[in-house]
Amino acid sequence: MSMRSQVYEWDATNYSSAAVDIAGSVGQQTSIFVGGLGNNITKPAETSATEFVVIEDIAVTPTAFVNSGSASDYRGLTLTLGTGIAGPRAFVQVRINTTDYFLDPDNVPNDGIPGSGSPYPRSVNFQPSFNLYPDVYVLPGQVWDVLVTWYNNAGLPTAGTACVSGSLRAFTKYTLYDGPDALIANKLLEMGISINPGNVDWYKRSLLSAQ
Amino acid sequence: MSMRSQVYEWANLAPSGKTSTLRRTTSDLPVELPANRELDLFIGGYGNNITKPAETTATQFVVIEDIACAAQANGNVQIRINTTDYFQNPDVTNMLGIPGLASPYPRGSASTAAGTDNLLKSFDLYPDVYVLPGQTWQILYTTRDGVGSGASTDVVAAFVKYTLYDGPDALIANKLLELGVTINPNNVDWYKRSLIEQQQAAASAAAMAAAQGGAQ
Repeated sequence: MSMRSQVYEWDATNYSSAAVDIAGSVGQQTSIFVGGLGNNITKPAETSATEFVVIEDIAVTPTAFVNSGSASDYRGLTLTLGTGIAGPRAFVQVRINTTDYFLDPDNVPNDGIPGSGSPYPRSVNFQPSFNLYPDVYVLPGQVWDVLVTWYNNAGLPTAGTACVSGSLRAFTKYTLYDGPDALIANKLLEMGISINPGNVDWYKRSLLSAQ
Repeated sequence: MSMRSQVYEWANLAPSGKTSTLRRTTSDLPVELPANRELDLFIGGYGNNITKPAETTATQFVVIEDIACAAQANGNVQIRINTTDYFQNPDVTNMLGIPGLASPYPRGSASTAAGTDNLLKSFDLYPDVYVLPGQTWQILYTTRDGVGSGASTDVVAAFVKYTLYDGPDALIANKLLELGVTINPNNVDWYKRSLIEQQQAAASAAAMAAAQGGAQ
């Protein structure tokens, strides 16, 4: 159990059956782990001295770009007359310690990956244009976070500023290397080899064959 | 963190009364776009922009891996490195670039604002486009039809995915370019490994030579 594929799904309403007012956070970066909105965990995500995390995918609820003259819901996303934006217009960013991973070409941190580029959930209507490659490494002792920003509360499917479960979600997939496998992951990093379960197994086999 | 996958999404959305914005806001509205005019996604003055032209420093190397745009309004997207357009007509004249119908964004979107189809990509940016250290690059969006103003305005978007190599990895990228090897994260890692192996071989050869010299 020392290499484990993990996922974390965040729902802005904490899967509530009732609508939840999330207007106070619109336009702001919100941590999906400890942001105080939706389902959270007990403490910030961090790796211990014997852990290594490889983030392999991030995604968020998609947005569709249509016409401002339309007010009909579009492919399951809410469209308000005048906006031309169906859905939350959400973005997702990765932060390691205090450094944002995704930058604009002027080297200024941006909002991250748009839901239109990396949609969650994926469907025929909403397919990914983005693949998180190379993966993002969280070294032992680092704190990491996944931050969601959305700009279009009018794209959430209730009247006013409330949000219903499922209308704003984010997702991250990562692999947790623990104990000896975390040491091997560090060794692979030193050697300039991509860290994935196949290469960790290859390193173990090469150690065994060298004995 | 010296090889990083990056994306930039542009849309013709800006706060009311403005045509462009440096920061997305919660009150952005669709902006009118002129027909047949190349609009720089980064500093074109329409939609969301950044603070300065996209350029690589002496220690950066950019590999553009994908470009796409909305198919509605007959959108096209072009890459320009310094002053040279990447996509050309067969007679080497200028063209508008890749049509949104061939490389749609968002993928799976409809070909028109009212459409019900799901567009898939017909185009793959392969080989990738390299932006060498010190070069300026632009992504240019052009709509043949234009996007009108008023109560019925299309929202169009464009997208670019690239990998930013910085510091030592940018030097390796340059070396791979000299060697004629494709620049991607795997090959950069391969080059690092080969450097380490060379160093280890040289160190062990030196140690062996020293041992033999001591024995004589």
